[in-house]
Amino acid sequence: MSTFDKNAVEESIRLKEASSGSVTVFTVGRSDAKKTVKEALAMGGDRGCLVIIAAEPDPHDSLTTAYLLARAIERAGPFDLVLCAEGSSDIYAGQVPPMLSEWLALPFLGYVRKVEIEGRVIRCEQTLEEKVRVLEAELPALVSVVSEINEPRYPTLLQIMQASKKPIEELRSELLVDGRGPPRLVTTVGMTAHAMSRKRVIFEGSAEATSRKLVEALRSEGVLKR
Amino acid sequence: MTERSRASQGAGKDLLVDGGAEVVEDPDLTVEALARAAAKKRPSAILVGATRTGRIVAARLAAKLRLGCLSDVYRLKVQGSSILGERDVFAGKVVAQVKADLPCVASVKVGTYPKMSEGRTGLEVEEVGSLQGGVRLVETLEKRAATTDLRSASVIVSAGRGFRTKEDLSLAEDLARALGGALGCSRPLSSDYGWLPEELHIGLTGVTVRPSLYLALGISGQLQHIAGIKESKVIAAVNTDKDAPIFQVADYGIVGDLYQVVPAILEILKS
Repeated sequence: MSTFDKNAVEESIRLKEASSGSVTVFTVGRSDAKKTVKEALAMGGDRGCLVIIAAEPDPHDSLTTAYLLARAIERAGPFDLVLCAEGSSDIYAGQVPPMLSEWLALPFLGYVRKVEIEGRVIRCEQTLEEKVRVLEAELPALVSVVSEINEPRYPTLLQIMQASKKPIEELRSELLVDGRGPPRLVTTVGMTAHAMSRKRVIFEGSAEATSRKLVEALRSEGVLKR
Repeated sequence: MTERSRASQGAGKDLLVDGGAEVVEDPDLTVEALARAAAKKRPSAILVGATRTGRIVAARLAAKLRLGCLSDVYRLKVQGSSILGERDVFAGKVVAQVKADLPCVASVKVGTYPKMSEGRTGLEVEEVGSLQGGVRLVETLEKRAATTDLRSASVIVSAGRGFRTKEDLSLAEDLARALGGALGCSRPLSSDYGWLPEELHIGLTGVTVRPSLYLALGISGQLQHIAGIKESKVIAAVNTDKDAPIFQVADYGIVGDLYQVVPAILEILKS
């Protein structure tokens, strides 16, 4: 599981523990993504749903991923809250949560560091670059969380074993699309290693000698103000 | 809309969508306003600054209009009936070339194009009617000025797990002060230990910085951290572990104990 996803799973379990209800874990992937669902069930999820796509998905085709998740969530019945990570730890495009909210026609509260629910109202702290906005919306709603929201738990061996008994539904993506799915509009053309040319000069020796060399080097670079 | 930039230059006419002051603050309303304007004007591309709000707007708008969406891209160019862009993936270790069919939406990486001058005239204005969103703003809390300071700092001294206690961070603060710079940190210090506010967290999910000098003290250099510093002019690092990944991306490195090196640097700067 992507590290950021663990924060979303953790938050859902905390909300369940604080009130009642149940947690269903959804993912889209190849059949081997089942182990990701199991991880989330070991943390405390109640049941899982895996949307299986036949071909390797394009990592930048968020529109399709969000669409499939929306159809799977709708199919699972009524719900109060959908929680997502702010983005995946590899691609980090952060598009699936807002797109999902659009497909599900839900109010969207993104980049959230604190969630409180009272009755049918959800109140969140949304953390932006230079300010924090306190937002409210009626449930059902969709929230994406930032990693500072919590510290994800580590499941115990017993929980890992129990997780294998929890139900996981497998849905084939073709059955969800029914001819109305979004066309694939975004493609990854290529990937190249980022060229990072750094001098990599390493000083070893006494603290005094190495510090002197470093200060000299930084002065000749012109990056020391004094 | 949130960050008007010259990414659209040469692409034809710019359109100013006027939905009132509150629209810019509320992604729901921005999406609705842009969707209405787009339905009428049918632009070939809608570009948004890739701030957090901008990313939300771009993705929601794309889903609403059923268009492709490129996230956090730079070096955009139009090729035939599609738009090409580059974006950093795997915490900045890899650059992905991505393509979307036109028309499309894209959020443009902040700081990769010069800002458009304020009060630009000659924009075509499109007024949209009244708008309604599903999210209420209760209040706005100002974050500490720390983040703004970090973004504009020419020197940053940054602390990592090499510091043994919170009190020891005074070493990093002293050095930052001596260099006329700002203090930052890696994720564990703000998120796991809570020694410094989250606003000082530099990295993929924190602040991205571009100082002339970035000095990393006791930071091992995880990919997520590097993603936030790689555009620094000069990177220097102090770490006890000579195999620490930070040395792979540093211009200058000292293999040594920051508890000895920092006082030594302070002494040299004093004389």
